[in-house]
Amino acid sequence: MVEVSTPVRWALRLAAVAYVFFLVAWPVALVVRQTFSNGLDNLIEAFQDPHVVNALELTLMVAFWAVVINTLFGVTISILLVRYEFPGKRLLSALIDVPLSVSPVVVGLALLLVYNGRDGWFGPTLEANGLQVIFDTPGMIMATCFVALPLVIREVVPTLTEVGDDQEQAARSLGANARQTFWRITLPSIKWAVIYGVVLSLARSLGEFGAVKIVSGNVTGRTQTATLMVEAKYQNFQQGTAYATSFLLILVSIACLVVVAVLRPKHP
Amino acid sequence: MSIDVSGVTKTFGDFVALDDVSVSLPTGQLTALLGPSGGGKSTLLRVIAGLETADTGRVTIEGVDATRLPPQKRNVGFVFQHYAVFKHMTVAKNVAFGLEIRKRPKAEIAARVDELLRLVHLSQFSHRLPSQLSGGQRQRMALARALAVEPKVLLLDEPFGALDAKVRKELRDWLRRLHDEVHVTTVFVTHDQEEAMEVADEIVVINDGRVEQVGTPDQLYDEPANDFVMSFLGEVTTLGGVLLRPHDVHISTTPQLAGAAEGTVSRVLRVGFEVRVNVLTDDGEDVLLVLTRTHARQLGIEPGVRVWVTPASGALTVPSMKAAVG
Ligand SMILES: Nc1ncnc2c1ncn2[C@@H]1O[C@H](COP(=O)(O)OP(=O)(O)OP(=O)(O)O)[C@@H](O)[C@H]1O
Ligand SMILES: [Mg+2]
Repeated sequence: MVEVSTPVRWALRLAAVAYVFFLVAWPVALVVRQTFSNGLDNLIEAFQDPHVVNALELTLMVAFWAVVINTLFGVTISILLVRYEFPGKRLLSALIDVPLSVSPVVVGLALLLVYNGRDGWFGPTLEANGLQVIFDTPGMIMATCFVALPLVIREVVPTLTEVGDDQEQAARSLGANARQTFWRITLPSIKWAVIYGVVLSLARSLGEFGAVKIVSGNVTGRTQTATLMVEAKYQNFQQGTAYATSFLLILVSIACLVVVAVLRPKHP
Repeated sequence: MSIDVSGVTKTFGDFVALDDVSVSLPTGQLTALLGPSGGGKSTLLRVIAGLETADTGRVTIEGVDATRLPPQKRNVGFVFQHYAVFKHMTVAKNVAFGLEIRKRPKAEIAARVDELLRLVHLSQFSHRLPSQLSGGQRQRMALARALAVEPKVLLLDEPFGALDAKVRKELRDWLRRLHDEVHVTTVFVTHDQEEAMEVADEIVVINDGRVEQVGTPDQLYDEPANDFVMSFLGEVTTLGGVLLRPHDVHISTTPQLAGAAEGTVSRVLRVGFEVRVNVLTDDGEDVLLVLTRTHARQLGIEPGVRVWVTPASGALTVPSMKAAVG
């Protein structure tokens, strides 16, 4: 550690605290205060609005499936990337980071191009077979999966690399087949990375806005998620409901963080 | 024959790690794979265990062709150089792993784990996690884990490599005793010739991906097949174009024996009860000798003294391939 004099240390602390306060704590606190400006009225009103309830349910459903799918694929792809050699591996690894750098709106547009029911590449075929992707739940889940794709993988890959394959080889030599090795050895050793990945994906999925807005069509009561609802209500001069919904979203995020903090074992 | 390796070649890219290796390791014996670092010992062991597949050649274990069998079907216990303990399981769970995979009854597993932990002196640690054990304890746990499934063959990759000298010595003796008790065919890798000579019934010397010699410790020491084995198993020096052990050089201060090389003592170093003497012959060879202190004093060996050196009668000599070895 570099020795820093006491006043400088205090100045640095103050700067850090101020930064976080003005950027995060204060705005969030204001949302909470606005929510409760009339006591519980805003929340009660929000819960009595069937569109809000619908939007919340839809959000949870979309986020749930996106997280499930991303976790399954994320763990599989991570194992593939770390444990196996195959042509195109580096390309795959690079592609996985695309969602981090591309704006969600662009993601939405891209999906629209491929899957829309009129002139998309797959859209008409899928729709002819009774599966509507765009302006419906499948498209919203896809968009959410896309934006949250790297989160599980980027958590699991470093852990998998660090753990190495010694334990897996030992399990094999003790008679375990590939499936038993995965469930008994690999998964427990990357458990925490997977949980973090899931929590991050969940938070990201609940909050997704841009991509979902484009592929969902934003139909109130049918394809409007909580974030889209917040925007709509706010623009409709129903700020109370907007704040209440935002508050619920914040609550879920904080719950995620608390769950991780509580579950996390003492040693890293 | 318990383990038969015939004509095994293994390459990594264009690097040949094993070059047409054939060895037979008899049932019930304790065999050491000995050789310098990078010689291919681990690779051979991993090929036997099925953790690596040979490019060509066959591996037969107890009469069963195992060449294409996956590791879990070979009934081989493998102890890894760095233990490869299951970090998230207790000591008892680690040891029980192979049995649980085999779906043995709970009571049987518990009894067997108990017995094994007693065998490796870890009974009181059964509920600890591996991270709460010392290196030697972890190694013993890894051994118990491998023994639990009653393998036909126990393979150990530098089992004591990461331990300090004292623990190493203890575990070495312990392994020997364990082997005499359990009698499972055991192969262990080491690059320490003393360890191999002390513990093994038979030693396979491996260098550069090839088997240099197979034999008992005495055979290897007394009849080395070539200069590599000779120099790897102990200190050597060159005299008149042959390799020999430094204690097999006869030295005198007068020309007693015909054919003795004349030279000058260039250095005298006392190490405990031994005296190590360097003689520079008139032909330009630097010969190393080891004498007892008494002998050196009797002869009056000091730097600058003229001496005559020759292989002692009955000395083991091997033609030297390379100029200066040792
Ligand atoms: N997976 C691998 N990929 C490429 N080269 C390898 C691989 N495994 C081993 N090698 C090479 O094969 C050679 C033999 O390796 P091996 O591990 O068998 O040596 P060793 O005799 O066990 O040495 P040490 O005593 O240092 O453990 C080495 O040169 C090593 O670099
Ligand atoms: Mg090795």
